[in-house]
Amino acid sequence: MAQDLMDRELDVLDKERVAPVETLRRSDEALRLPAVAPPTALPLEPPLVPQVGEQTRAVGLRAQRPDSRNHGLGLTRYIDDIALPGMLFAKIKRAGIASARIKRIDTSRAEAMPGVCAVLVGSEIPVNSFGPSLQDQPLLAHPIVRHAGDGVAAVAAVTEQIAQAAIDAITVEYEPLPGVYDALEALKPESYKVHGGDTNVYASKVIKRGDVEAGFAQAYRIYEGRYYTPGIEHAPMEPFTSIADWDANGRLTIHASIGRITLARCDLARTLAIPISRIRVIGTVVGGNFGGKNEIRHEPVLALLAKKAGRPVKGRFNRVEEFVASTIRHAFHMDYKTGVTKDGRLIARQVRMVLDGGAYCSFSETTLGKACILSTGPYEIPNSLAEGYVVYTNKTTAGSMRGFGAPQVCFAYESQMDEIARDLGIDPVEIRLRNMFREGSMSSTGQVLHSVKVKESLENAVKKFGWEVQS
Amino acid sequence: MKPFGYVAAIDSEHAVALLAEYGKGAKVLAGGTDLLADLKFSPHPPPDVVVDISRAADLKGIALTDAGLRLGAMVTHSEIVHSPLIAEAAPALAEAAVVIGAVQTRNLGTIGGNLITCVPSMDSGPTLLALDARVTVLGPRGRREMPLSELFVGPRRTSLAFDEILIEIVVPTQNLHKPAAFQKFGLRKGQALALVNAAASFWAPDGVFTEPRIALGAVAPTVIRAPKAEAYLTGRPVSEEAMAEAGRIAATEAKPITDFRASAEYRRDLVAVLVKRALAGAFGRVTPNQKDLAS
Amino acid sequence: MIVTLTVNGELRSASVPPETTLLVMLREHLHLTGAKTGCDVGDCGACTVIVDGLAVNACLMLAAQADGRTVTTIEGLATREGLHPLQKVFEETGALQCGFCGPGVIMTSKALLDHTPEPTPQEIRTALTGNLCRCTGYVKMIEGVQEAAAMMRSPQSPALAGQSPALAAPEQK
Ligand SMILES: Cc1cc2nc3c(=O)[nH]c(=O)nc-3n(C[C@H](O)[C@H](O)[C@H](O)COP(=O)(O)OP(=O)(O)OC[C@H]3O[C@@H](n4cnc5c(N)ncnc54)[C@H](O)[C@@H]3O)c2cc1C
Ligand code: FES
Ligand code: FES
Repeated sequence: MAQDLMDRELDVLDKERVAPVETLRRSDEALRLPAVAPPTALPLEPPLVPQVGEQTRAVGLRAQRPDSRNHGLGLTRYIDDIALPGMLFAKIKRAGIASARIKRIDTSRAEAMPGVCAVLVGSEIPVNSFGPSLQDQPLLAHPIVRHAGDGVAAVAAVTEQIAQAAIDAITVEYEPLPGVYDALEALKPESYKVHGGDTNVYASKVIKRGDVEAGFAQAYRIYEGRYYTPGIEHAPMEPFTSIADWDANGRLTIHASIGRITLARCDLARTLAIPISRIRVIGTVVGGNFGGKNEIRHEPVLALLAKKAGRPVKGRFNRVEEFVASTIRHAFHMDYKTGVTKDGRLIARQVRMVLDGGAYCSFSETTLGKACILSTGPYEIPNSLAEGYVVYTNKTTAGSMRGFGAPQVCFAYESQMDEIARDLGIDPVEIRLRNMFREGSMSSTGQVLHSVKVKESLENAVKKFGWEVQS
Repeated sequence: MKPFGYVAAIDSEHAVALLAEYGKGAKVLAGGTDLLADLKFSPHPPPDVVVDISRAADLKGIALTDAGLRLGAMVTHSEIVHSPLIAEAAPALAEAAVVIGAVQTRNLGTIGGNLITCVPSMDSGPTLLALDARVTVLGPRGRREMPLSELFVGPRRTSLAFDEILIEIVVPTQNLHKPAAFQKFGLRKGQALALVNAAASFWAPDGVFTEPRIALGAVAPTVIRAPKAEAYLTGRPVSEEAMAEAGRIAATEAKPITDFRASAEYRRDLVAVLVKRALAGAFGRVTPNQKDLAS
Repeated sequence: MIVTLTVNGELRSASVPPETTLLVMLREHLHLTGAKTGCDVGDCGACTVIVDGLAVNACLMLAAQADGRTVTTIEGLATREGLHPLQKVFEETGALQCGFCGPGVIMTSKALLDHTPEPTPQEIRTALTGNLCRCTGYVKMIEGVQEAAAMMRSPQSPALAGQSPALAAPEQK
């Protein structure tokens, strides 16, 4: 029976052999046609965006993005829509172990694979470090692995499939090391030190105004609370993708979905040890950034692979790498102590925060700074003390994300505000209005504020969401 | 994806012949929503060849036959959602199909693939179990027919041999129009696997629970029935309290695990609630002449 | 193997390895890069295209499975005469920000409107369940789909003038 069925020749692999002549002819013709999209005449209509020099009424009109027509047509060229002639595809082998010493890497099977053009490991990289503030991140880990998303080897091959197969064929022998996976643990003197030395703290900040102790002494009540916000992945819809391309004069062009071109060039120049004038970074339309695409990531690895192979190299993260090998929002541990008068005025606030920085620094200092500045909230508090620390842990690197620490502290101080209001029996909106910044208020950093509209904003919002009805 | 070969079957017999030809190196491909997602990230060697059954005409179609309501294994979740026949004779099946994944997944994913993947959280299983569905399997040794419950062996394991395919699922004639309902609770309303799902069916002649069936998903290695809860209901007058009690009993029959989606205790609580809701939903479908309709 | 599709009204073939997904065939072999790779496992909908009238995840379908079938991608919506109403409305209302999810959202919405010319907001939400957008929050998209639906129902819709017959709505199933 089986043979009988096979003779019906419906095996699609053998389809050409059995297809009617007409189908064959059509199929061949289709193959000969260039594989292009059906024509879309451009521009389709006069563009909707205002022309240079044209005066437009803006208020009350629908805003139109200059790029939205291309978006809707599918014509926006994101980085993964770009291919250079002769381009290779890179894959990076991820450690998959959070804390270890690499004992041995065997790349011989990968190198022998047909289609593999270049293999790279950390030990052969002259300047094996990069980073937008501290240069504490290796291009490829060697010999210490500090988090599971660390790259340990990279391959460039003629297809992504072959690059993946080559990565799978690379064997790495690890000696597991102890690790630290909690920011508060990492503070302890006996904790494992992610980067050696005698502490995991790599950035700290103190902001002081008035005298908190005196403030607490005057307070009618003191509230203490611990608040925690977890790490968050940016999860842009467009995964990290970049192309590295050298010319014969030793000039490097990087095409990348990245938001900070000059910072990227500086960092690349340092790690590749070539003058910045030889590096061009072309930022492509970013398919979602949210702070996660502010710094270079795999670009120096792609550049080194491209140099070895003598051909342009594209690397793209898959969705899993996006979670383990990109940056995330810092997890915050926050202790808030607030002294309040009988009528609900905040007179002293002490904040202590510990940020989980993950394995490398990235934009931790900026995040810590903003968080400390904003940690007292939009409230006039005569006495305040904010101190913050960022610590290394053997986890995904934390970096910049929308607000640089502002949402985390906001969660803490607003949560505590609600607790205070409830305890004192004051309406939550009312207690905020009593403490809010107003014209001429001084912030915790000593800045005198002008054009303060926060009260009006809150009153407007309260009207819009119908607070009176609810309370 | 790793390299593999591809052949397409024109019908179920051809598919079985191709499986015989390629042996254990072959893998059946239906809608591909489970298989391709697996193959992309699997550390295991790929199959030598995938046997595409998505063009097999005799595996398609929803129809009433002498045996009952027949769904070909290649019927997609979307086809179930939009089928007038199902809306009429077994609407709970559509209730279960419409909460699977999203539109795009439902347009590709098939009921056969859902049952054969056999994850405990599958959304097709509970309603079919609650309606005493039977399945037909075809292999080199011919056809065999069995209750759906005998197909499920464990997580991602069925009683199907490597050279067999599932060809159809039948809701028996006597259970058409049987009042039934399906409930699912996930972390989101769409595009989320069930933390728990449940289905219930019963006849209610003279307001008495008759032939009650309760099936639970995501709380045991396979989709299971809750026999103690069913026994409790049998012969009892229909009431909200009885439904709630059946839910509580079913919760004791569940063997949920704790994982990153939810704790075992939470899942157990969900069982009690969802069973009660499924029973109430089924009761909403009871019409006075239902028993006659079915016979 | 050789796979032949009718893409956006034209017959196209490509010689691809059997494990090639429809998404890879469209993007890398036919250079139709409108459909995007967001997750590659069916979760995000950035790869949505319409196959024989139904919205599907091109990342979860083998090119071979689409052999001989009719595929419409985002590139096939506009004509020389004008934008598809969805494209027009999405442009005017700023329904997209970074735009990466846009081709998928528009294709899913087109498939919805082809079958349901007058969708309720809930029907639109249900249809868009499988299209993740990290930028917008969906509100303008949902309004946009309703607006486009109204536009398509009115016979004088200028944006419809150029609809090519090959892309006319498929038969109601
Ligand atoms: C984004 C996403 C969301 C999802 N959400 C849900 C959800 O909410 N609920 C849910 O239950 N499922 C969900 N799924 C899982 C999946 O869509 C279903 O299980 C689907 O029904 C599988 O059918 P398929 O045709 O795609 O199977 P395939 O992927 O083609 O096959 C699955 C398995 O079954 C085997 N197989 C298929 N048909 C047969 C047959 N006739 N005979 C023998 N073997 C066969 C295949 O060899 C394979 O091992 C989701 C999947 C995705 C990608
Ligand atoms: S890329 Fe296909 S669903 Fe995300
Ligand atoms: S507009 Fe950026 S993901 Fe939707």
